[in-house]
Amino acid sequence: MGQITIFYILAFLATACSLLVISSKNPVTSAIYLVCDLFILAGIYASLQAEFVAAIQIIVYTGAVVVLFVFVIMLLNLAPNEQSSLGLKLPDIGFTLLTVLSFLIVTVLLVNEQSSVSGGALGPPEAIAQLGGNTRAVGMTLFTKFVWPFELASFLILAAIIGAVHIAKKDPKPADKAYGNLKASNREKAIYGSP
Amino acid sequence: MGLNTPALAYDAFLVQLLSSLALFAIIAVLCLQIPPIMVWVERRGPAMMQRRKGPNRVGLFQWRFYGLLQSLADAIKLIWKEEVVPTGANKPFYHIAPIFAVFPAFMIACAIPWGADITVFGHQIPLSVIHLDVGFLFIFAISSLAVYAVTLAGWASNNKYALLGSLRASAQMISYEIPLGLSLIPIVLIFGTLDLNQIVLAQGAFPWQWGIIKAPVSFIIFLVCMFAETNRAPFDLAEGESEIIAGFHTEFTSTKFAAFFLAEYVSMFVLSCLAATVFFGGWQAPFVPHDFLVKTFAGFEWVASLIGAGVLFLKAAFFMWLYVWVRWTLPRFRYDQLMGLGWKFMIPLGLANIFVTTLVCAFIYFK
Repeated sequence: MGQITIFYILAFLATACSLLVISSKNPVTSAIYLVCDLFILAGIYASLQAEFVAAIQIIVYTGAVVVLFVFVIMLLNLAPNEQSSLGLKLPDIGFTLLTVLSFLIVTVLLVNEQSSVSGGALGPPEAIAQLGGNTRAVGMTLFTKFVWPFELASFLILAAIIGAVHIAKKDPKPADKAYGNLKASNREKAIYGSP
Repeated sequence: MGLNTPALAYDAFLVQLLSSLALFAIIAVLCLQIPPIMVWVERRGPAMMQRRKGPNRVGLFQWRFYGLLQSLADAIKLIWKEEVVPTGANKPFYHIAPIFAVFPAFMIACAIPWGADITVFGHQIPLSVIHLDVGFLFIFAISSLAVYAVTLAGWASNNKYALLGSLRASAQMISYEIPLGLSLIPIVLIFGTLDLNQIVLAQGAFPWQWGIIKAPVSFIIFLVCMFAETNRAPFDLAEGESEIIAGFHTEFTSTKFAAFFLAEYVSMFVLSCLAATVFFGGWQAPFVPHDFLVKTFAGFEWVASLIGAGVLFLKAAFFMWLYVWVRWTLPRFRYDQLMGLGWKFMIPLGLANIFVTTLVCAFIYFK
């Protein structure tokens, strides 16, 4: 049917992009293929009528996480000899075969499990429509059935944020120390010069 | 679209598809007209404020059209300029970056509802190319992709000023995306839907029913973030010409530069449309309920929808003028001020706004 054809096309593209992520020499190229890959995954979610998850996938992964990857890669500005450190090339036959095989296995599994795919944790499309749309259904499930895992996950993320801030926080700059005994407004003037 | 409505019959699907394509063509052509007109506004507007004349020479024979043809002349000059690719540029990304810039702007223009649903050959057609019940999230998802254009453009052109500009621009866009999203959550809470057309319908035709009255703080945050997201003055540090030449598009010439230009103006227009849709009743004409229009044009309901599109366009035009107005009124921010405003003021304000709105919704609206 239409849906499964779209899935095959998207799955093929996603696999191709994933292959290109690990086979390109330039890290920025890899990152951009990763963007494409995550975008196509969002397309797969959308074709399964999970528009909410698709949109969140693009917002979180494509639009935020990989941007940071790209930043880091660009700022490190890897030298050309470091760039090919991965050393993988597309015609690496054994590797390609392995990927194609795993792709086939996943596809076959998915086709066999099609009934459960269209069902899912939220139930069939009719039940979702009855709940008042995809977003409402996801929200209701998150805050009723999965409320404890959800809260725990957010607690974990909070801990990670605090940890990241703690690691990123350095000692005060020498400039701040030197001018530390001045008043805040005077300190700014002493550092930046008067406006 | 076909995916969301699997039960749709074949001819209904065909009508949907064709009308979507036609609508996309209309919107794309409309969006292409934005930059020339806006360039004219942006030169005549400040001329008016500063008691100068502005461009008023280029015309056709003895007609001057208030210098409107200057934009046409500029466009022709821009397209015919020699294209220079800098040495050491990363060619694929250098060529693809302008496309990355234009794509999200046009995609978002597709998600804006331009009027009430119309009936074509007995099938109901929504007046937005991409009609989703998560329209809000779709807009955020696509607009978050605009960062890549800026980042890649600056990095690929092998120029330090361009790289600095792209870092500034992308950091700014990522920072202000957060308060932009936070500012719209109260709207979703109040109207209880993520569908843009439903939000317009929920607002009604009278100004006291509009989003700006129900969520004024949201509007202020949205307005500030709107300027920051499009890298416009007073937040145009990305192209602070006194510091870093022209920022990320320093090395782009000819049509590629025109593409960045187009992307900037189209995203300004799209955000203006979004502001009008969310806070100013969208395509509903003020004080004229849509039902009344439909009754007046009985048999020609599409006229009512057309009027709606015109009304939305006028509302967006106000915000476009606001962009120009602010640009020639406020001086440019310093970079640390910009980041401070975003992270230390806008985001906490947005969170507090959500908290208060939630309380109000829970204890007053839905009681």
